[in-house]
Amino acid sequence: LSAYAADDADALTKPSSSVDFGVLYSSQDSARFGQYNGLNKKGFYGLGGFDVRGGDGYDRDKNSALRWKLNGSDLGTTSRNMGASIGEQGKWKFGIGYDELRHNITDTFQTPYREDTGGNNFTLPANFGGTNGGVIPASRGLTPTQLSAFHTEKEYSTRRNGSVGATFSFTDSLSAQIDYNHLEQSGAKLIGTGSQAGINLLGGSTGRAEAVAMIMNPTSSSTDNINAALNWVGDKAHLTAGYYGSLFHDDYNSLNWQTQQTTAASNCVGINCYVNNSMSTAPSNSFHQANLSGGYDFSSTTKLVGGFSYGYNKQNDNYAPTLIPQISRNTPNPYNMMQANGLPTTSLNGVVETTHGDIKLTNKSIKDLNLSAGFKFDERDNRTDSNTYKYMQIANVAYTGVNTPYSNRKLQYEAAADYRLAKGQNLNLTYLHESLKRWCSSVVGGAECVSSPASEEDKISLTYRLKLIESVNFNAGYTYADRRADTTNFLANAGNYAVVTPVSGSAFNAGNYQGFVAYPYASRSQNVGKAGVNWQVTQKLDLALNGRYSYDDYDAQLGVQNGQSAAVNVDATYNYTDDGSVSAYWSWQNGQRNLTSGAVNNGVAAFTPSQIIAPKNIWSNKLDDNSQAFGLLAKQGGLLGGKLELIGDLSYSLDTTTYATDVPYLTTCATPASLTCGVVSPIKNELISLKLTGNYKIVENGKLSLSYMYQKLNSNDYFYNSQQFGYTPNRVMPNGLQDQDYTVNVVALSYNHKF
Amino acid sequence: ENAPQTEAKNTAKPATAATLDRDSTCTTCHDENESKPILSIYQTAHGNKADSRTPSCQSCHGDSAKHLSNKSAAPDVIFGTKSVGSHAPSEAKDQNKACLTCHDKDAKRTHWEASVHQTADVACTSCHETHTAHDKVRDKKTQPDVCFACHKDQRTQINKFSHHPIGEGKVACSDCHNPHGSAGPKLLNKNTVTETCYTCHADKRGPFLWEHQPVTEDCTNCHTPHGSNITPLLKSRAPFMCQECHDGPHQSKAPAAGNVEGTQGGLTSVPNESFAGRACMNCHSMVHGSNHPAGALLQR
Repeated sequence: LSAYAADDADALTKPSSSVDFGVLYSSQDSARFGQYNGLNKKGFYGLGGFDVRGGDGYDRDKNSALRWKLNGSDLGTTSRNMGASIGEQGKWKFGIGYDELRHNITDTFQTPYREDTGGNNFTLPANFGGTNGGVIPASRGLTPTQLSAFHTEKEYSTRRNGSVGATFSFTDSLSAQIDYNHLEQSGAKLIGTGSQAGINLLGGSTGRAEAVAMIMNPTSSSTDNINAALNWVGDKAHLTAGYYGSLFHDDYNSLNWQTQQTTAASNCVGINCYVNNSMSTAPSNSFHQANLSGGYDFSSTTKLVGGFSYGYNKQNDNYAPTLIPQISRNTPNPYNMMQANGLPTTSLNGVVETTHGDIKLTNKSIKDLNLSAGFKFDERDNRTDSNTYKYMQIANVAYTGVNTPYSNRKLQYEAAADYRLAKGQNLNLTYLHESLKRWCSSVVGGAECVSSPASEEDKISLTYRLKLIESVNFNAGYTYADRRADTTNFLANAGNYAVVTPVSGSAFNAGNYQGFVAYPYASRSQNVGKAGVNWQVTQKLDLALNGRYSYDDYDAQLGVQNGQSAAVNVDATYNYTDDGSVSAYWSWQNGQRNLTSGAVNNGVAAFTPSQIIAPKNIWSNKLDDNSQAFGLLAKQGGLLGGKLELIGDLSYSLDTTTYATDVPYLTTCATPASLTCGVVSPIKNELISLKLTGNYKIVENGKLSLSYMYQKLNSNDYFYNSQQFGYTPNRVMPNGLQDQDYTVNVVALSYNHKF
Repeated sequence: ENAPQTEAKNTAKPATAATLDRDSTCTTCHDENESKPILSIYQTAHGNKADSRTPSCQSCHGDSAKHLSNKSAAPDVIFGTKSVGSHAPSEAKDQNKACLTCHDKDAKRTHWEASVHQTADVACTSCHETHTAHDKVRDKKTQPDVCFACHKDQRTQINKFSHHPIGEGKVACSDCHNPHGSAGPKLLNKNTVTETCYTCHADKRGPFLWEHQPVTEDCTNCHTPHGSNITPLLKSRAPFMCQECHDGPHQSKAPAAGNVEGTQGGLTSVPNESFAGRACMNCHSMVHGSNHPAGALLQR
């Protein structure tokens, strides 16, 4: 209040511009703390930002609607953004923008590979030599030469997004709009790589299969997005015709690396005895979409709206090379990943057509009753050809694969009624029916390719809202959904098509045991309940409490059996003066999932997946995901004659994820040699953050801000155990990735000037 | 924030001078001394008087004849969600009616009627501040706090270990959702979940030679976009997550427990690359689809 009281009317009606600059110090190198804020390095950062507005449109004495704006923030970090816009309101507007974001992933990754971040050809030092995946990591060890080859690479991905947009009004009822943005991505993200090192070696032996290494998969790509629309608005109707285009280009179509892992039997141990590998990257692709949407008012109480979209998605990037040159002295050169005549085409020529339609009729002609009825149609029609690809799989075993282009169609019918029982008391009833079909077109072999070719779902929701008294709002809702999925006759073309047998083997039920259903495709009943109350106790005090609970029950002998989630949120805000307030919240969330699965046939060899799993071979797994968060925010202005404002922000969160596995048929599952049952150490992340800010008005238009932030992350994740030197699985290259704990102190001083 | 905004439809409005004259009926009393920034509406689009569509105070608050003759009487339309003094806010439908007089016909609000926010009596002013130059909900950095006033589960989720840069102000709720209603699920901007995700993650669009069925249908089969304890935004951790859909091929049938923790977790045998670290994705790393002729098993 005092801040406004100090201003005059002119200051309120004229545009307010500002510029701020300063310096920030961060106390620790941490990719995790600086994941998105650009403060990943210890040291000083410049702070800068501006928001400048002007134009005759702000001058009430001039008959002009022209206004312009320049803005920028976080200019001193890799999270900077800038923008500018100018327009004559109601006639035209033009804007440009730039946004940058560096996603810092990790600064503890170690690798012996020689390639800069962003490259796609990873080679080992010539003197690295081989390692034998046949012995345990500790005894295998890495030679001093090999260990000396490991160096740290900082993993990050940078996004730079430039945009330009404009609108133009031709007439009072006709306008056009176009937006374009160009997104450049650079850097890399870690990816697991299984080597096809099991290639033929002289003497009939093979190199070691599945030599795993984490590689810096380049994110060297660009995406151009275009949005164009022509809008017509009439007294009773409106219509928008639009185009959306998205063009993705990847600078690479393959990721190449060397594997040092061979066997003694191969006579391939030592200098330059590497297996060259190659895998694909994300293919360049394009998407063009025509959109039409609009509405018509039959009357002031009856309205019809709808839309239609047609999208054309094409991907015809050249396949990654399948002839891989080898430098290993004993290996065929080059190694052909494909069998004879196994490559039917050099690119996919993939085409997916997406179609959407929706229409909704709303009516309010009956007093206190709002009615609506709607229909939606969504189809993904994958028109890509199906072919047979014969190749050598990762363990150098002949493999025949048939690609299965997935298509699906979803129809939704919805009807809803919202009835006002009394003033401040409403009841809403909604019914939804969803019909879903899945298929593949012209699959080689013609077998059913999809999990759950069809499903039908009915959903009914009831919501009650009550304004108990003027200051208390209550709401409660319940939803029941029943999905009936067709899981019969499912004979996927998954697996090695060369050995597919129609009633059993790798194709039957996608190679899963009989009775197993993947949860997205299983019949399911769902119950959801939620309730909340908001109470404005006084003009100064507000309280809120809300919660929800959901329970999903899946009809599957094997697979996910059920899942549930619950949450409670409590909020309180106390505005003790016009200049002072305190708000606090507490939040609790829990999610659980229970899985029942079938294990190998308890010691009996050659167990066929298609067999019915014996009850004694059933095992179960429970996921328990817990989250708690607490926050406290206090503001006090008007100090020192209205010159000083203090802000304190404290937050705490604790997230834990635990897995518990029960294998009743194995009495020895908890032995240290197996540990196939029992509870996994929780994946735990605890974050504490405190931010204190003081804003002092040193001159009429100048404000000095001093802020301090303390943030601490305690992270404990077993994921990192098997990444360490001497502790990896046999054939996995260590990388030394570490938990991302941090304790960071940040101090920032900045000056903000308004004019 | 700099992207051109959808314009309100053009309706017959008084000329600039006349509009200011009508405003003066109110601004004579409601001046710079108000506890709320009444006059700063002239810094907003609603105060650009050279635009013939610009409303006057009465265009939104009503002629309020009773209020003009008796200051203690309430104006015709009181915006907001809380009582101010003795005046309770008008019903949401009456508040929204004033806004929709101009804003009811454009592509962004086509699906407002019978949308989840409309039927829940959410008023335009529950999110928008029309009298201030800085409307928090239209600023990427401050928008999430406006949405979190109701969506409290998401307020917690965006601070989880794995999250989109929402709290950092680089991604806003409206980058994915249209709170004014949409033809997509969960008020998504696009028609489907996958279409919405592809606007930023076009590298996952393909189509790939070797597709992964649940990936082609709905990203949320595996990911939870508002935040997760498992990187990257995963509902669960491999191999357990993979075993929710696979129970036969390779190691998907094998129970996993403490062995995923490796030697440091007490395992005396050699850790299995199917369980440890990235587990299944140590080798089957192309889970979004592979475009390699020798990649049917999503390994290349």
